[in-house]
Amino acid sequence: MTEPDAKTEALIRVRGVGKTYGNGVVALRDVSLEIDRGEVICIVGPSGSGKSTLLRTLNALESISGGEIEVLGQNPHARRTDLNRLRARVGMVFQSFNLFPHLSVLDNLTLAPRLILKLTAAAARERAEQLLQKVGLGDKAQSLPAQLSGGQQQRVAIARALAMQPEIMLFDEPTSALDPEKVNEVLDVMRALADEGMTMCVVTHEMGFARAVADRVVFMEAGAIAHVDRPDAFFGADCPNPRLRAFLGQVLHN
Amino acid sequence: MLPAEPGGAASAARRAWYALYVLIVVGFGAAIYWAAQRVDYSWHWERMPQYIVSFDGEEVLAPFDGFASVDEAGHRIRVQALRTAETATFDEFDRIVAGDGDLVFEGDVLAVRAGIAPGPLAWGLWLTLKLSLLALLFSLLLGLVAGLGRVVDNPAARALAATYVEIVRGTPLLVQIFIFYFFVGTVLNLSAFTAGVAALAVFTGAYVAEIVRAGIEAVPRGQMEAARSLGMGYAQAMRHVVLPQALRRSLPPLAGQFINLIKDSSLVSVMALTDLTKAGREVVSSTFSPFEVWFTVAAMYLLMTGALSLWVRRLERRLAHD
Repeated sequence: MTEPDAKTEALIRVRGVGKTYGNGVVALRDVSLEIDRGEVICIVGPSGSGKSTLLRTLNALESISGGEIEVLGQNPHARRTDLNRLRARVGMVFQSFNLFPHLSVLDNLTLAPRLILKLTAAAARERAEQLLQKVGLGDKAQSLPAQLSGGQQQRVAIARALAMQPEIMLFDEPTSALDPEKVNEVLDVMRALADEGMTMCVVTHEMGFARAVADRVVFMEAGAIAHVDRPDAFFGADCPNPRLRAFLGQVLHN
Repeated sequence: MLPAEPGGAASAARRAWYALYVLIVVGFGAAIYWAAQRVDYSWHWERMPQYIVSFDGEEVLAPFDGFASVDEAGHRIRVQALRTAETATFDEFDRIVAGDGDLVFEGDVLAVRAGIAPGPLAWGLWLTLKLSLLALLFSLLLGLVAGLGRVVDNPAARALAATYVEIVRGTPLLVQIFIFYFFVGTVLNLSAFTAGVAALAVFTGAYVAEIVRAGIEAVPRGQMEAARSLGMGYAQAMRHVVLPQALRRSLPPLAGQFINLIKDSSLVSVMALTDLTKAGREVVSSTFSPFEVWFTVAAMYLLMTGALSLWVRRLERRLAHD
């Protein structure tokens, strides 16, 4: 692919995006955000603040009512865009894993590469086995998802998204459905991915992860971006936003 | 399985309840027997088996009108057609009925082959099975298409599928069978059998559509989203991710629908189709033993549906274990 993006250019551009449901509830209001290549963005905020909605508009799993979105130079909400081709370049990891329960772990990883990238069975299998090694599940290729723990399932889900060799990874509260002792095994995989230079957008409640891994942290409240900053300033005691301070005070004390 | 409990009190209570069950069933049986004795009816159960399996042997019939000739040894019958040059010879039989030089008409008995032959009820059972299996096959196809039509985004497909399901579920099967036999069958020049299969398939297809739709809707939305997020199109996601899960969930209710189909197929006996029910009616008219015949026919239906529901129960247990 010869993309126009230079090294410094944004892979994701969100400009003035709003979303209002049919019943008048406003999910997003005037959201603008740019994510550069190799950048790791964490989005935090109280539940119902529109974090997941924003993330899901990036690959058009959720529609928007206004504004503009550009991902890898294309508008996922434009009719002309080949959405399937764009989505294949943007990996997504869900809160509830969403592994395909009727397929083995290996088949979960090889299905999309074979169908969409037209990889041969052998090539897809080789790629899948490498990725399973990478997430520490090399011995689980033949298992069914139901035979794995939550943490293992989420690591398989990350490997499944990576099997498409995406340029961007979206994480929608990847550790929220996990038992507390399983959270770190997933965060470790994500941290390794960030270290490799993957462009990542992570909706999370894990403040420790955001502080350690994110390049910038976004605070959302009532459908709008209330504050964006580098983690040291974001989590610092002299943060200028009183609502963010209140939010951080609540989550960090729990 | 319940663990063997040390006291045995629970199992004693269980046995008592089973005893009560047996008592009630025997009581019902006795009541029916008593009621049967009160009416002036002579039972002839001994006549029934021959209508299921006939030991009279199989009849060799004349294929067309013509003259029969029998060779000296009586091992071969030759029929010379009346109006054409056609001939037919038969040499596998055990007892000759036709005489040398007889004028025979199409369908006349020429000879009898000894051995066991299926009786009319067995033939009816076979037709019912054939009818049900073919109708099942087509109803699955129809139901799959209509069920998918009910869940896709396209308004035309949704409306079409909904109309089909509502019309079929809102009218009696018997009326549909009449329409298929008299209207569709006449317009498209269908045989009674084809019309019967079509009527049953269209009827059952509507119920299969609802089962398929329920199965698809029972698959969590996240499955479709995960598939789409990987770049699969709607059809690819449906085929490789959603449908395999939906159909697995639908298997037990689908099998139940097939049991219904076997029972519903008895209604095609109003067409000129000799299914198990029609065969029963024919046997009644030749024996004047309606009580025995209908009990026998009921038992034969029960045999089919019972075997199926046993299989369904095993299937459900196996699916529950994965």
